[in-house]
Amino acid sequence: MKEAAVEERQQSCFAKLKREFRSSDKVGYIMVLPYVLHFLIFIAYPLVFAFILVFCKWDIVSPMEFAGLRNIERLMRDTTFWTAVTNTLRFLALHIPLQIVLALLIAVVLNGPIKLRSFFRGAFFLPFVISGAVVTILWQQLYSTDAGVFNLVLTKLGANPVPWLTDPSIAIYSIAVMATWKNIGFYIILFLAGLQNVPRELYEAASIDGADKSTQFWKITLPLLSPITLLVVMLSTIGGFGLFIEPFVMTGGGPAESTLSVVLYLYKNAFQFLRMGYAATIGFALALMIFVVTLVQRKLLDVEQPY
Amino acid sequence: MRTNIKMRGAALVAVALMVSLSCGLIEAKAPVTITFWPSSNPQEIEFAKIIVSRWNKNNPGIQVKMEPLPASRSTEEVLLAAIAAGTTPDVCANIYPGAISQYIVGKGLYPHDELPGFYDFVYERSPKEIVDAFTYKDGHVYQIPWKANPVMLAYNVNLLKENGIDPASLAIYSGFLEAAEKLAKDTDGDGRTDQWLYSPSTDVTWWQRFFDFYTLYIAASGGKTLLDSSGKVAFEDDAAVEVFTFLKTLFDNKLVPKGTLIGDQFLGGRIATTITGPYSIPYYDQNAPDGFEYDFIPVPVPDGHKGPVVTYGDPKNIGIFANSKHPHEAWEFVKFIMSKENDLLWLEITSQPPYRKDIVKDPMFAPYFKNNPMMSKFVVQGAYTRGVDDSKHLIEIFDAISKQYDLSCVNSRKTPKNAVRDAARDARDILAGW
Repeated sequence: MKEAAVEERQQSCFAKLKREFRSSDKVGYIMVLPYVLHFLIFIAYPLVFAFILVFCKWDIVSPMEFAGLRNIERLMRDTTFWTAVTNTLRFLALHIPLQIVLALLIAVVLNGPIKLRSFFRGAFFLPFVISGAVVTILWQQLYSTDAGVFNLVLTKLGANPVPWLTDPSIAIYSIAVMATWKNIGFYIILFLAGLQNVPRELYEAASIDGADKSTQFWKITLPLLSPITLLVVMLSTIGGFGLFIEPFVMTGGGPAESTLSVVLYLYKNAFQFLRMGYAATIGFALALMIFVVTLVQRKLLDVEQPY
Repeated sequence: MRTNIKMRGAALVAVALMVSLSCGLIEAKAPVTITFWPSSNPQEIEFAKIIVSRWNKNNPGIQVKMEPLPASRSTEEVLLAAIAAGTTPDVCANIYPGAISQYIVGKGLYPHDELPGFYDFVYERSPKEIVDAFTYKDGHVYQIPWKANPVMLAYNVNLLKENGIDPASLAIYSGFLEAAEKLAKDTDGDGRTDQWLYSPSTDVTWWQRFFDFYTLYIAASGGKTLLDSSGKVAFEDDAAVEVFTFLKTLFDNKLVPKGTLIGDQFLGGRIATTITGPYSIPYYDQNAPDGFEYDFIPVPVPDGHKGPVVTYGDPKNIGIFANSKHPHEAWEFVKFIMSKENDLLWLEITSQPPYRKDIVKDPMFAPYFKNNPMMSKFVVQGAYTRGVDDSKHLIEIFDAISKQYDLSCVNSRKTPKNAVRDAARDARDILAGW
């Protein structure tokens, strides 16, 4: 009796959907079809496939084998993976603050009445649009311990050469500086957009009340830029966790695994060692980490402003 | 009326017959097309273009379409992706034996020994032990031995002479280290060392170890490779520790640069020696500055080493893929690539010795070796070479060794003994599968 009622309800629900579909404007479905197809082919399918891979052993050429939770077990005890996580966090620890502080300072200067403002805005944005591989190869030459320009300048000044990319305690920070230089233009643009939305009258009122430039910056500019700052922090974090091309080209993960990032380790497992299941597991672990970190950042930084 | 219908029917049948006959004729005449992937370096493409054009001219029934191997970080990645996607060519002339297991497991390669006259041809061309070395454990031959590039130590004749170094002294580790001390200096007075004897790579990419640790290990161990005949780890031994100690001493004493140098520093006169193969000869001849003289000697070995110096052979073979619809026609083309005339053409264009029996004594090749005396050294060295082990985990094992090389030799964070022990332990874990 109950089953019959459920079946009847399902049928009426289906009939309702059918009626709605018939009476709706079909053009809408056609308009959204490209996106739906793109989503299904390029997002949903790879995501579902990668999730299945987490529980499988697969080397592309042999048939896939079910492996249960062995990939996850391996991840837990894989010291190289945790080294890669630590390296990525060390990278973020320098990259994010440096990027925010420099991008904000440069944006404030570029927002003011300076000469050649458009030129400087373009110049700072330029590295962002240059190919990552090209920038990385150039910086690799600049950083070269024995033949690089940076060390040439240092030795001319009487200092000792710095092993920028060959000392395990320095290499990841050298990469963080380079990545900051490469990406800063994008964040300057974000801050500039934010600065142009700060109402002029707030500064005028503050001036009348006797607030100097520094007080205005700390009490008006910075608080009103907090949504942009949150955006910059989150985008930098997501981008930073995806660190790949710089260590891939510059150091290959060395010296002494000090620049091995999570994505580089994932790449090596997937495309060098053909451990597709394990690489997918690393990918999901990385996604989880990014989700948790950005969630914490949002909780900490997303504060409502009094203005 | 009925006659009319009959006539129409007969006409239709006649037309149908004519069409089907002409289709059959067209089909019989249509040439078979074979896809051929050579390596993408300029010399090998030049060779491929010449032989394909000659073949196509003389074989209208079997036309070959040449496409250089698609660009990637390595040929192995390209071929594995092609096997997985079912887009392999009929023939590829850049098969690396270290990856053959993966291709075979993926059912990517044709069992060449089943081709007509296979053994007659390969035994006629190459030494039997070479063919046996490339025979898979199931008894089939999935790759046809083609060429090897024995690696040796190239040296800058004048730079060594100017610094009072006898090239013969570089044959053993102690002499090499002594020479490295003499050469490491600041020549332009800017406070930085800018001249060295040797520059081992600090890049941790797995294949970089072919040209430092692996070559030196084969030489130091008298011809051992990483795994034994049963596929177990065999490199946890004194020879590996000696090689690690040798390389570590060079880095620890700042006798070699510890970073990327811009441009070719061997031709630039800043590095006096480099481990390389015969393929460098045409490159050096084309790019060396005026007055630059070079020569080759075997790679250094530990003091007290006895017997000939064995080195890494860097073999590359030719394979017909299982996906090929025309394996017999492809085999005919492969035989053409490996013919005596084309082996000579290959040698002239690329300076890479083919796996051909008694090549130096062959009258057809004699003028070539007379005009290229340096190549004779590689052919002599070719008798003492080793390739790589046949394991689908080889890349990962090399990666594990590379990690320990980086930790111990380059960054001095481990003793050579511990580094070799840890590399062997990691390799065992890798072979265990998880």
